[in-house]
Amino acid sequence: MTVSLRINGSSYRFSGDPMTPLVDVLRSERFLTGTKAVCREGFCGACTVDIDGQAVMSCLKPVGLLDGAIVASIESMATGDGPLHSLQAAFLAADVVQCGMCFPGMIMSLSQFLRENPSATRTEVKAAMVGNICRCTGYERIIDAIMEFLAMPKEGPVNG
Amino acid sequence: MFDNRDRSLIVAGSIEEALAAVGRGATILAGGTWLMRDPRRGRPLPGALVSLHKLAGFNTVDIEADRIVIGAAVSHQELGRSLAGIAGLEAVVAAAASAANPAVRRVATIGGNLCTQDFSAADLVPALLAVEATVELQGVDGTLVIPFSSFLADRKRLLADMMLSKVFLRRDILASAHARLPLRRAGDYPVAIVSLALSADGKICAAVGSVEDVGRRWTALEEAFAAQPSGRPADAKSAEALAVESNDFHGRDGIEADGWYRRQVLPTLVRRSMSVLLNREVGR
Repeated sequence: MTVSLRINGSSYRFSGDPMTPLVDVLRSERFLTGTKAVCREGFCGACTVDIDGQAVMSCLKPVGLLDGAIVASIESMATGDGPLHSLQAAFLAADVVQCGMCFPGMIMSLSQFLRENPSATRTEVKAAMVGNICRCTGYERIIDAIMEFLAMPKEGPVNG
Repeated sequence: MFDNRDRSLIVAGSIEEALAAVGRGATILAGGTWLMRDPRRGRPLPGALVSLHKLAGFNTVDIEADRIVIGAAVSHQELGRSLAGIAGLEAVVAAAASAANPAVRRVATIGGNLCTQDFSAADLVPALLAVEATVELQGVDGTLVIPFSSFLADRKRLLADMMLSKVFLRRDILASAHARLPLRRAGDYPVAIVSLALSADGKICAAVGSVEDVGRRWTALEEAFAAQPSGRPADAKSAEALAVESNDFHGRDGIEADGWYRRQVLPTLVRRSMSVLLNREVGR
């Protein structure tokens, strides 16, 4: 099966098994290894990417359903030699990242959530993070950082 | 990387195309959140699949005066958002909005949830049983509309050559409630679920999910409720006591919880859901 989609702004044509999970296409075909394949069951959230504006677990998304889709992975959030995404910068400033395995997924989940809910409460942030598991930090420092990020004055909507 | 280059996936453009694929042995691919885990369970993925997500009417929720029509490919997130605030359907909203996690709810569909025969912890199953939903099935010989409970009882046979296309909800339910017990070791799946719904005639329907292999109505409890002097339990504590006496469930053992535990927690979930239900009725 052949599928055409856009990944991080570039056209991509996939040809192969339509049930190949998107995470494997990203990592093995496009070498976008920021997206982590951890549980492969939709429990941990480390493989979360943006598909057509929605944060989705890429381990559970067969590429065969993505014809015409627009996919953004963590690599699209910052260029590498430019400034970090504002949420990444907030996490860095608050020193909340430990092993880093879960953080690409957290950024991808939270960037959509915060874009849609710029006045989210602490409880709402916690509910939004239910599908993103971190085994290092205990969550509270991450949530503290997000609440500080939300309280910061913004020039415009949350980017990304 | 999966490497079955012979595997086929058809994105059906019409009901007829979808049914023809099913007739040739294709498996229906809904949101994929259950099926995509098959390799982790040591099961091979099907060699032929058909997706219904582009079929007209499969992605819409139509709120009519006397009923609500839900397409089979509507996601949990969309279902919860569409029905939010509609009196009587609180249990369905709670089930749609609390199942799994946000990213799965964006993708997992109502049709996939109801048709996945080995998924015992589906939140929508007890909720739809309690509100006495009906379902529409499409087959080469025509359309069948049956109570959801009948579909559930005969699901394997019906889905051999038909596909679920719509779910219908009544608009004459006064209030409903959904209580679920997640455990840390059970991950995103509740180990027991109770849904209650109060009809305009005063009848309370009760349904249970995740305790046995397939969700079902708790008819012994419904009868115990109806036998009370006012036709229903006086309060949530009375409902809990009746649930203890009427507990005829045989809990399934699983890695998330033992069968006895699933059975044991049901009266507590009845109390919690009844408390919410009665408060909702008072608030109307």
